[in-house]
Amino acid sequence: MDRRKSSEKTTWKASTMVPSPPISASEAFIVNTLCVLVLVFAFWVANSLYSINLVTDPSLTLFFIWITELPIVTLLYSRYRRNRQRCTYLGAVGRGVLGVPVGALLNFLGAVALGAPVTLQYLPKTVNWALMMSMFTTVPASCVLGSSWADWRRIFAQTKPNGSIEYLLCLPAHGAVIGAWFGAWPMPLDWERPWQEWPISVSYGAIAGYLVALVASLGFVLACGRPQNIKRE
Amino acid sequence: MKQSETTSLVAERGKWGYTWPLWTTLLLHLLAVFLFTAGFLLTRTELPHRSHCSDVSHSPCLSSNNGSCWTKPAANRLVLVVLDALRFDFVAPSTFFAESKPWMDRLQVLKNVASARPLSARIFKAIADPPTTSLQRLKGLTTGGLPTFVDVGNSFGAPAIVEDNFINQLVLNGKKVVMMGDDTWTQLFPHHFERSYPYPSFNVKDLHTVDNGCIDHLLPSLYEEDWDVLIAHFLGVDHAGHIFGVDSAPMIEKLEQYNTILERVIEVLENQSGPGKSHENTLLVVMGDHGQTLNGDHGGGSAEEVETAIFAMSFKKPISSVPPEFDSCSCQLDLDGKNVCVSSMQQLDFAVTVSALLGIPFPYGSIGHINPELYALGADSWNLDASQKLSESDIWMQNYANALCINSWQVKRYVDAYSASSAVGFSNDDLSRIASVYAQAENHWSHSTKKLLLDIQNDSDTLVPALKRQIDAYFKFLTTVSELARSKWTEFDLKMMGTGIGIMLISLIFQFLTILRANKQHGETLSSSGNSWVITGSVFTFFLLGIRACSFLSNSYILEEGKVANFLLSTSGIVALRQSVIKGKALIESIGFLILSTFCRFVIEVGLSKQAATSAFMKDYTSWIVNIASGLVVWDYAAEVVPMLALILLAAWLYNVTSGSFFDWPWKYVILGTILSYVLIIVHWITDSNKFGVALMAESIGRNYIPRIVYAIALGQLLLLGFGQLFMKNCLDYKANLVAKTTAMLSAWSSTVILLSGKQGPMVAFASIVGGYFIMKFVDIEGGKQGPHRSFSILQWSLSATCLFFCSGHWCAFDGLRYGAAFIGFEEFVLVRQAILLAIDTFGFSIILPVFGLPFLIATKYEANLGKHFLFTQLSQMYTTYGLITAITTTFTILCVTIQRRHLMVWGLFAPKFVFDVFNLILTDVLICLASIYYFDQGKDDPELKPSVAE
Repeated sequence: MDRRKSSEKTTWKASTMVPSPPISASEAFIVNTLCVLVLVFAFWVANSLYSINLVTDPSLTLFFIWITELPIVTLLYSRYRRNRQRCTYLGAVGRGVLGVPVGALLNFLGAVALGAPVTLQYLPKTVNWALMMSMFTTVPASCVLGSSWADWRRIFAQTKPNGSIEYLLCLPAHGAVIGAWFGAWPMPLDWERPWQEWPISVSYGAIAGYLVALVASLGFVLACGRPQNIKRE
Repeated sequence: MKQSETTSLVAERGKWGYTWPLWTTLLLHLLAVFLFTAGFLLTRTELPHRSHCSDVSHSPCLSSNNGSCWTKPAANRLVLVVLDALRFDFVAPSTFFAESKPWMDRLQVLKNVASARPLSARIFKAIADPPTTSLQRLKGLTTGGLPTFVDVGNSFGAPAIVEDNFINQLVLNGKKVVMMGDDTWTQLFPHHFERSYPYPSFNVKDLHTVDNGCIDHLLPSLYEEDWDVLIAHFLGVDHAGHIFGVDSAPMIEKLEQYNTILERVIEVLENQSGPGKSHENTLLVVMGDHGQTLNGDHGGGSAEEVETAIFAMSFKKPISSVPPEFDSCSCQLDLDGKNVCVSSMQQLDFAVTVSALLGIPFPYGSIGHINPELYALGADSWNLDASQKLSESDIWMQNYANALCINSWQVKRYVDAYSASSAVGFSNDDLSRIASVYAQAENHWSHSTKKLLLDIQNDSDTLVPALKRQIDAYFKFLTTVSELARSKWTEFDLKMMGTGIGIMLISLIFQFLTILRANKQHGETLSSSGNSWVITGSVFTFFLLGIRACSFLSNSYILEEGKVANFLLSTSGIVALRQSVIKGKALIESIGFLILSTFCRFVIEVGLSKQAATSAFMKDYTSWIVNIASGLVVWDYAAEVVPMLALILLAAWLYNVTSGSFFDWPWKYVILGTILSYVLIIVHWITDSNKFGVALMAESIGRNYIPRIVYAIALGQLLLLGFGQLFMKNCLDYKANLVAKTTAMLSAWSSTVILLSGKQGPMVAFASIVGGYFIMKFVDIEGGKQGPHRSFSILQWSLSATCLFFCSGHWCAFDGLRYGAAFIGFEEFVLVRQAILLAIDTFGFSIILPVFGLPFLIATKYEANLGKHFLFTQLSQMYTTYGLITAITTTFTILCVTIQRRHLMVWGLFAPKFVFDVFNLILTDVLICLASIYYFDQGKDDPELKPSVAE
């Protein structure tokens, strides 16, 4: 539904461009694997403990997804925060949590602009979907980048990630948003399947895009990680 | 040096140098559309043959020996009351439906008679074949054939029926026909009626003229003896539906009025039905030609539109009933506890059944079969052969079998003649299948049934089973033929369609090459803007355009086209936002654009819910907005006042903007004229509305003269602009000149468009101005200052135009036309005038204003005066791009229609979409050409550039 909506941030602050510590390929692999495992775990909890899934109860399933993703994503990505001198680990976690409502709001508005239903009946679904999208898009970035407008702009508007960690921020976010956008396409079709309802197909699209982009970002880290390191030296 | 080259180029090339690609495109498109339409919409050959009394001797059937023609006549007079747009639930008792609605149970008399005399009066649910417009239905009813889509096109011209038909047979066989009511009948049958009292049918606002005319002549005529068939066609229900909808007080009044009239008609006929009296052998038929949706629309193929009712009654004492195996009726108790039975029949069968009842030859091209239940109403007239030892129902069956024999023979004759004379008839497989089914039935007839029938001494034990088998065999044959005709009777000429598509593709390539060529001419400016966004923007434009075009390949996306267009518009808005973040400018504009498209989205949803109420294909689409908006008095007042305020704001804004110095004399007056028009429109709305209770002037003056004055002012403004074009000397630089011209042109059109759009007009106008402004600002962030690539902005322009089409309450179906708009300022119907008004209303915001407003995209872009040649090349390139975008989407619609030509929804959904898109394409092309005449003036060269020429 949404597309690169996450590109803007509210505060303007001159970036001091202290590079985040480089992330090795194995580390990136672990981070991505953990993100995927948590996603799988959320589905498992929903499926086996509550016997629901995205189709039967999208609202609650999306809630499980974002509530389990939240600690893992913030804790993992805060390790790679910028400006280590000025920002503590807990501070990074804190700004990551702050990024949740902001990202959710942006995703929510984007979805509404593109045609998401706004009835009271759909409100919890849309909110939970927006929170999940926020996990995929803005939360990791706000943990790492903080409120540096220039970095946000470079990564999300210009799509010019610089350094391996930024690939991990940029690609999955774009993947999730583009996946969600494509996920909206089956919705008007007259197949009368339950998953064509908002926001089920869109969530599937977003998750699929996210997963593909996670794999792709690993590739980029592998490919570009070495030259980047050399350049830095 | 360069400047002198360019100015000499202008002199060399003149106006045609820039505009010839546009004209060529128009010609190519016209040719392509003509060829394709000729192949797609021309579908059935009308045969000129007639049925004759003597023909029946060629048939294997028993010819009657007592002087009658094809079948033994069962009735000698017929009173046919046609109630236009009679829904099935107007006639059937409300207990047949899940819910009782206010418009049900209003025609009490019909169901009372049907329940009191179940043998001589019957209610049928009649299923009509789409298209469900009156003219098509009357054609189908009288010819017994299937009307084709091309007839819809003729519907506005109403040509006489050339094919053999029921009315024609009546006249040929010496029956006298009297007609009253809807004048469509006199257009269809110009020389057939003994007497006729036609009344104009096209003024939908008039509920009473036609009906009162009918009433005045109907009852007196019933006492007269100079006719055999009387036709009375009432239009009030149709018009009440169009104007007020089904669930409205005028509709219920109309139905109750009909109830009293029908009561009196039945009373008169009853009194005159004694032996020897004038209506001894009269059949009364009350029927609808088609149904209507709850909004009062019809034309498509939804159940509500297709299901209408037939009530038939004979005034003799009932004798026999139909054998149960041929009886399709279902019975229910009505609210008064009376048992009412309703049968079902195809409207297709009407012509042949009534012909059989009246004993005239069946229309040559009829493919229906004689309906047993309707035919049974005449059963008691055949008790001639007292010698037979058969029960009445057996005699009936005997007659029916013979009638079906003639019926089958006639249908077979038609199928054979049709396949012989038509280039692309039925396929050989189908023909041999029909032939074998017919041979089977006929074999049975000649070898057993006929002998049994001729042998009078047979008793019913041997005869009845044989007859039943015979009737079943004929049924099988006739159903096979009508099914085949329904599925295959759209005779597409694939060669023509292919040629049309080919030319369309050539035109696309031509347009594309033109754009590339213009780009090459700007080689030097292109290199200066080596921005990656230029490429990304173009790629993205093609991507969005491709998605939009491909979405037309699916019926679901066509149904929700408004939402899809808005989705893409919002997407483009988000991309623009991203771009403006990169550039760090126009941030507010891009956010505003997104908000605007979100707003559009809600408006489109309201429109979709309105469409869903009428559409057969969109079920259970409930809009939450409608729920909120209904039922509040404040809303009513807001709906009255807000548009006026918006219009005042619009006028003030226009005045402010144009008070700048560069507006010269012709444009100044044009703008003033527009402001005057706005004031007049406000006055018109105040006098038209009953909320304010002010009587500024006599109502009729306000209602008709003010709109006419507005139209006249608009016409005058256009003439003035043309005049200025011819005689004005430009003392401005071309850029300012272009802005002034564009503004003047838009303002000249705006008053008419707003007036026709009604109360929503000013708001939509505001939305288009704001949207246009934002898109102009985006030109800045796209590409370099000099870059010729504006494809992205042009796509946005075109997408917002599409969204405006849906925002202003239209959709691509014939019931999406706002017919009321055609009658703003005029009471009576004149085809050309009303068609123009309807076209302006439908395409005003989506084609006329966007096409004429396109130069703004250039004019705002360049700060410096770059000279005429540059500006004109840009302009022609931009118009070509805009035309290309429209052409690509239309090409895909055409492809889709070709692929889906056997689809169930082809006439209901794809064909209307095709007609709208093709009209859209041609209108866009024509307007682009007109705009090119207007904007590319031949005037002298730019004064500021003159010195450089001298160098």
